[in-house]
Amino acid sequence: MATDGRNRRFELLAMPHLDAAFNLARWLTGNTADAEDVVQDAYLRAFRYLDAFRGDNFRVWLLTIVRNSFLNWLKDNRSGRLLFQAAPADLDWADPDPGPEAMLLDRVDSETLGILVAQLPAEYREVLILREIEDLSYKDIAAVTGAPAGTVMSRLSRARLALRKAWIDNEKGAQKP
Amino acid sequence: MNHERARSLLHAYADHETGPIRRFFISRHIATCPSCLAELEAIQAMRTALRTNLTVHRAPPALAMRIASALPREAPPPVRRQPVRLGFAGAAMAGGLAGVALTLAVTRFTPQPDPLAADVLADHVRSLMANHLTDVETSDQHTVKPWLSARLDLSPVVKDFAAEGYPLVGGRLDYVDGHRAAAIVYRRDKHVINLFAFVSDDRSDASPRQENRDGFNIVRWRTGGLTYVAVSDVEAAQLMAFVRLVQSG
Repeated sequence: MATDGRNRRFELLAMPHLDAAFNLARWLTGNTADAEDVVQDAYLRAFRYLDAFRGDNFRVWLLTIVRNSFLNWLKDNRSGRLLFQAAPADLDWADPDPGPEAMLLDRVDSETLGILVAQLPAEYREVLILREIEDLSYKDIAAVTGAPAGTVMSRLSRARLALRKAWIDNEKGAQKP
Repeated sequence: MNHERARSLLHAYADHETGPIRRFFISRHIATCPSCLAELEAIQAMRTALRTNLTVHRAPPALAMRIASALPREAPPPVRRQPVRLGFAGAAMAGGLAGVALTLAVTRFTPQPDPLAADVLADHVRSLMANHLTDVETSDQHTVKPWLSARLDLSPVVKDFAAEGYPLVGGRLDYVDGHRAAAIVYRRDKHVINLFAFVSDDRSDASPRQENRDGFNIVRWRTGGLTYVAVSDVEAAQLMAFVRLVQSG
């Protein structure tokens, strides 16, 4: 059996996506040490199930495994469980007109934006990261998150509205004396 | 297209996720609806903010090496690779260079390469290091056994021996000596026992044979067309007692 070929094939397929895997894990876990554990676990799983990869997009397949490893990690981490709070159902999703503040969002600094995104529920965070950093299509995000494409669309729009609301609240808070 | 319909599709429109015909009708609505135009611009402003300002975390350089050294190396060339692999196991135990040097010195006198023993040892050490002991974690044998059977064409003995001091922890898929193997995980006090089971090339039964390798005890036997290998750092007598439990199970 050409087993060293297996290691070689894995390195060629998986190692180029290490940054993407780490970035997703880092945004999901919120810290470097846990993100490294999640990514290592995901890579060992990916290696083990390499023969099961049939698709044409290895990055999508790998990110799916990273997300699963993250969910497993959550089960073992009480502190982590707080991170994956369900999205609030009672937020008012009827869309008010955005108002002038919403337009200023493109001037937000990286640090503030990072804090606001980190405070979103994980199911919002992951779709934002997959869409805006990984540039995945709705179909690929659906594959990674295991949600139907229609759900991806509504979840992504809710994630953006939640971020906008957090941004506007943050601005109002900053303006208070 | 009416306002509500167009409004509900604005995010998909901004993401270029609508078909061309629908896109045309949404565009036509936006052109006549200041509210939707403002909303679309707000969505686009946010997308720009996220794309330009959101931190992209890069993997620390050490992570690639950490993963590479944790990956299983199957079917090693018999002579040259072996000290390296055992050095890795030694490092895991001793946690330092002293362990590597010691292990290299010892393995130089290893009589002959034994890929199976080297493999199960590496699997055992990796399962401890990578904090990836189990894929399915439960003391319920009725969960572990079907979980493994569903993924492998074999049905090994899976039984909780908690009453005897060897509680079942869970199960995992692994590779041993080129075979897809079930790894059934037990504990003895603070020690982990990995019990590997895979379909034998040699179908004849063989009674348990115990050996010590790099501070770990390994017991292997064959029964019912399956090879079983138990690996642990518990003392030999305790591991043999465990093996007898499995055999009687």
